Amino acid sequence: MADIKLTRVEKTYPGASEPSVKGVDLQINDGEFVVLVGPSGCGKSTLLRMIAGLETISSGEIAIAGRVVNDMEPMDRNIAMVFQNYALYPHMSVRQNLSYGLKNRKMPKAEINRRVDDAASILQIGALLDRKPRALSGGQRQRVAMGRAIVREPSVFLFDEPLSNLDAKLRVSMRGEIRQLQKRLGTTSVYVTHDQMEAMTLADKLVVLNAGRVEQVGTPLELFHQPQTVFVAGFIGSPGMNLWDGDVRQGNLVIDGVEVARGVRAPDGPVVAGLRPEALSLQTGGDGQFILSYVEELGSTRLVHGHFNGQPVSAQMTPDQPLDQVMRMVFDSADLHLFDAATGARVNSAPAIDAASTPETV
Amino acid sequence: MVENRPLLTFLSHLVLILGVISVALPVWLALVASTHPSSAFVSGRVPLWFGPDGLSSYIKMMDQGASTSGTPPIGQMMFNSLVMALIITVGKIVISMLSAFAICYFRFPFRVLAFWAIFITLMLPVEVRIVPTFEVVANLGMLNSYAGLSIPLIASATATFLFRQVFLTLPDELTEAARIDGAGPMKFFWDHALPLSRTNIAALAVILFIYGWNQYLWPLIVTTDESYYTIVMGIKRMASVVDDAPRWNDIMAVVVMAMMPPVLVVVAMQKLFVKGLVETEK
Repeated sequence: MADIKLTRVEKTYPGASEPSVKGVDLQINDGEFVVLVGPSGCGKSTLLRMIAGLETISSGEIAIAGRVVNDMEPMDRNIAMVFQNYALYPHMSVRQNLSYGLKNRKMPKAEINRRVDDAASILQIGALLDRKPRALSGGQRQRVAMGRAIVREPSVFLFDEPLSNLDAKLRVSMRGEIRQLQKRLGTTSVYVTHDQMEAMTLADKLVVLNAGRVEQVGTPLELFHQPQTVFVAGFIGSPGMNLWDGDVRQGNLVIDGVEVARGVRAPDGPVVAGLRPEALSLQTGGDGQFILSYVEELGSTRLVHGHFNGQPVSAQMTPDQPLDQVMRMVFDSADLHLFDAATGARVNSAPAIDAASTPETV
Repeated sequence: MVENRPLLTFLSHLVLILGVISVALPVWLALVASTHPSSAFVSGRVPLWFGPDGLSSYIKMMDQGASTSGTPPIGQMMFNSLVMALIITVGKIVISMLSAFAICYFRFPFRVLAFWAIFITLMLPVEVRIVPTFEVVANLGMLNSYAGLSIPLIASATATFLFRQVFLTLPDELTEAARIDGAGPMKFFWDHALPLSRTNIAALAVILFIYGWNQYLWPLIVTTDESYYTIVMGIKRMASVVDDAPRWNDIMAVVVMAMMPPVLVVVAMQKLFVKGLVETEK
């Protein structure tokens, strides 16, 4: 069991003009499930590989369980990693795949067998032990890859997008299994994904990365309800948050000359206003600023897409609500997330309390 | 693409049959000629069916060899050829595999240069560098030895290139997983790189064995002691006799015997050979 501490970790690839990972500070507590999430190229995999020891650290320090591991070989870091394409040894049977790392550590045979059998029963792959990886399905290969990590009984699990090669349904069920397994073993885990749904559902602590920097660290709900930057606001949540360019003038939010909300608590100036589609409802009645473009039916809900003064708007509604070509947008200004237009940082620190009782209609 | 047109079927069979004939006819002629008495060839007509002598030429050649043309017994020459072919095969595979492994998995100065330097030797087969190579071998005192017969033929760009391609198909994650599992470079080589290129090694071994077995010019140059003669040169020596017509029946018997080991190797390794050349999944 171990915690991980990253101090100003940087990575510059040879020949690259700027670093891929720029001064990341991160504290991962013992037993925590931390998910690193971000768009491709944000440095999340590089960060994970630096923790694993597969990439050198350009500057900064990584400590696992209080030991600085910068110059340690992957084998000596007491970690186990699950790869995206499983990386099973194709010429070895499942049993050999699981026991290979233990044999290299000169573990006694009886102990190896005990651990392999334990892992096999946890993952229900006992019947597959004598097969070669090529005779396994994607989901089974994934289990074997996890088994290879479990038998090690490491102090840290590292997952590098382990579910991206599976089909959607299997991904959801494996997601649940990984979550339960981690809870049961209580091993500190770092998980990399680009899928924000996967990130939200798995994480104790979510780390959103963008262009090599940490945008925000927090629980999934914190990030969902209090995004500290425009990037996090747009990245977390599905369907994505509405983001509009506007201005704050004396406590009023003005978008393209139209006053859309009163009593917002933010200094005057250009802002990006964010509103979750769930927080927006549309009313029919002949007038309004919302022009309907198209509707996505999701079964229990529907996503209504349109625009308002040329800015795209989407709203999540129940299927029984009537639709029209032109509608009024109704929302509570307390649900607005306001960000500085230049820096992208949040400007309304607390929800706008005074306007909470009177819904805005545009 | 599967097409079903009678004309196309006919044409493709025709091409295949012509191919078989052109490959098989010389072998057939050799086989037939070895069963005739030597007088049968004086007429200038090539016999197309087995003659009356049966296996007597074979027995004679196995027994006493072609002593009249100054060659050692067939067995000795076959053994020499076998030793030379095996040393070349094993040596080429070991050296090229190790150098391909170095080129693919280690970052050292002039790595790319090293690879291209090896690659460019493709343009320098023994025939091109025969004089300097002979001088080196002679100065090292390796004339008339198995070392002299095989070592100059061992360095191989083709095999290095082939193994490089094989290693490049192994995914990086495999190497990384092995590193996390605590396998150092040489352990990775033994535990993963080697078993995963098993079929490629087999395919290459077949090709290289035949290459080694068929060497003619080089053994002719470095051996003067007849106890190191190889079978392929022996055939040539038997054909060029002075003051006599070549004894074609005996020569052809030796030719047929000389063909046997490569044929056996191909037949025995065929399954692995084909797999090694076509298999892509790792």
